[in-house]
Amino acid sequence: MARDLSPAVSPPRAAQARGGGRVTDGPAPPPRRPGRRARGWLYVLPAVAVYLGFAIWPALNTLRLSLLTWDGILPAEWAGLSNYVKIFRDSQLYEAILHSLALIIFFSVIPIGVGLLMTALLMGKVRRGMTFFRIVFFLPQVLPLVAVGITWRWLYSESGVVNQFLDLVGLGSITRAWLGDYGLALVALGLIGTWVMSGLCMMLFLAGAQKIDPSLYEAARLDGAGAFRQFRHVTVPGVRREITVAGVITTISALASFDLVFVTTNGGPAGQTNVPGLLVYRLAFNEGDIGGASALAVVLTVIVVAVVSAVRYFTRDDES
Amino acid sequence: MTRPARRAAVAALSVTTAFALTACAGTSGSGGNTATKVDVSTTIPNDPVTLTLAYTNDPPTKALIDGFTQKHPNVTIKPQMTPFNDYIKSIKLAMSGDAAPDIAQYNPGAMNSLVPAGLILDLSPWSKAYGWTTKFPPASLEVLSSDKSAKQFGTGSLYAVPGGLSVLGVFYNKKIVKEAPKTLADFEAAMQKAKDAGQTPLSNGALQVGGFHLWNALLNVTGDVNDYRSWVYGKPGATIENPAALKATQTLTDWAKKGYISSGASATADPDALASFAKGKSAFLITGNWGASALETEMKDDVGFFLMPTPSGEPAKVASGASVAYAISSKSKNPNVAAAFLDYLSSPEAAKIEFEGGFMPVDTKAELGATGLRGDIASAFAPVAQGNGIVPFPDFASPGMIDKLTPGIQGLISGKMAPDAFLKSLQESWDGHHGS
Repeated sequence: MARDLSPAVSPPRAAQARGGGRVTDGPAPPPRRPGRRARGWLYVLPAVAVYLGFAIWPALNTLRLSLLTWDGILPAEWAGLSNYVKIFRDSQLYEAILHSLALIIFFSVIPIGVGLLMTALLMGKVRRGMTFFRIVFFLPQVLPLVAVGITWRWLYSESGVVNQFLDLVGLGSITRAWLGDYGLALVALGLIGTWVMSGLCMMLFLAGAQKIDPSLYEAARLDGAGAFRQFRHVTVPGVRREITVAGVITTISALASFDLVFVTTNGGPAGQTNVPGLLVYRLAFNEGDIGGASALAVVLTVIVVAVVSAVRYFTRDDES
Repeated sequence: MTRPARRAAVAALSVTTAFALTACAGTSGSGGNTATKVDVSTTIPNDPVTLTLAYTNDPPTKALIDGFTQKHPNVTIKPQMTPFNDYIKSIKLAMSGDAAPDIAQYNPGAMNSLVPAGLILDLSPWSKAYGWTTKFPPASLEVLSSDKSAKQFGTGSLYAVPGGLSVLGVFYNKKIVKEAPKTLADFEAAMQKAKDAGQTPLSNGALQVGGFHLWNALLNVTGDVNDYRSWVYGKPGATIENPAALKATQTLTDWAKKGYISSGASATADPDALASFAKGKSAFLITGNWGASALETEMKDDVGFFLMPTPSGEPAKVASGASVAYAISSKSKNPNVAAAFLDYLSSPEAAKIEFEGGFMPVDTKAELGATGLRGDIASAFAPVAQGNGIVPFPDFASPGMIDKLTPGIQGLISGKMAPDAFLKSLQESWDGHHGS
């Protein structure tokens, strides 16, 4: 394979493959188009196989399972759409969807805002400590979410760091076990997401902003634009694509959140932080209802696709 | 899309369809063969025999295996350990596979599917041959007996026997509480006293199982054990919406209102509650004897144990508990040897191993010579076990019950759920599984 690869990318033959003229002299080899195509597929095959095996096939299988009544062992029975009917009759699902929509604010909207702010502050000013800042802000992305969740559970606990800090600044009257508070648990959980996602957004935006032509800033300055207007009219349009990417990634992680919720609140207190992913897990592994879990997973997928399409629609590039 | 690409897409689609078809075969179930005739015998052959044993709780499993194989040197038992969180999933697959383990640690969640599929041996013939009904505490076998659909327990055939029992009770910090309370009112007074002294009365991990264990302990002393047993075993017509359960629920709500249980409990995991009690931050902790070894190491002689006291002050006759139990695969080639291992669990030698592993021994009359905390637990446990008073935890009642119990208790603690609404939500899950 490796030996086949090197001639294929050498300039003369690459040019020929694109239909260009021959670069070197000498007799032309006979055209071998079909063979080349077959070989091309050979190169793609490992990736295609992995994709089919681990993405497409499980997805189709989930769709099939959602139409069955199956506990994982006994023979499966055809259930038609009854799993879906059962799910939509359960008020828990609607609450869980509402919770995950609320999480979009914390996982997506605020981090994008924070990311843009940090980009504005760091752009073109900090040169030396840039790598340091990047590492610090990107750290949450590298840590496993389970470890992040358990750590935050302790930070938020009755005698945790958050409450110690509040005591210190004289806000001792509002201290509580934040993740156990009926009204505020979802907000507390969301803020963990904000902490995790902000660094990712900042990294994306900084990378995007670095490719903006400096002359644009110069021109804006000459036209009398201050720092804010430069940011508004040069930086933000310059990172529009990155904002879309960040929006899509963070929205998916908000809607499909599971691990963070599972280790911090497990849907509590009293179901105040239930999210659809958690309900899928419970149906499949606590109740042994593979069909119902698959149906819920399909519904969740539809919601994710719908919301992500909406995000892409609203942040689309007008010129294209 | 170019033409070859389209052709490839079609090819890819047909490949996935083929996959989907083979998967249909996968879900059609293995339908184990229960008709296999086994010659039941209580003697084991002298030829070398190798068994595999799938388990998730250790101790006591490995020590029990060692004890058994020392007694029978021709028998080799290969242990296969799976972490608890993955055990249900993995044991279901393993037992339906061709190379199923001979012996598997019993798990009610998995048995819901494995027993109806005929993958677990009915142990009744061995029970008769060995006389297990007298060797094991009757209550501990009741939980492990069920009908063929594994929906109603405490009836039908025996599918596993225990190799270690646990019991739910109250740990107290002797530095804060001088003496174990004798009545429920004494217990409340002791919590009030701790609260007045600025201490946390009760550590509770209501994020996980701690919350409903507390409720369960209260229910054990307020309710009629037969009502609870019928309900938890899935006896037709049973209900948890009864006055005793309402009283227990109301008591828990009152304790939360009085500040005995903090609202932070809903965000506290069981290990965190245990750790905070061990550090001396609270007066009481309600959990099972499985916490004993950690507490003993941390608190030395400053910790004691009692069963939830009854309102009248007479000794508690009922306590919840679970067991580490083992079942035999119907695919096992040596069921008689596997059964001999199960019988060994009730022996006096095994009793020592079980107790050292942090469990109460199956042989409830075994002389343990324990002192201190373990002595407290042993002396509280023995009369209850001998009086057939060990009952399963409420999450045993239906597969989805735990997802009603944990959030429900959190709702009670935060005052957002009324006691009768809590019981109603439990009964809904019960009805969904057993039929109303």
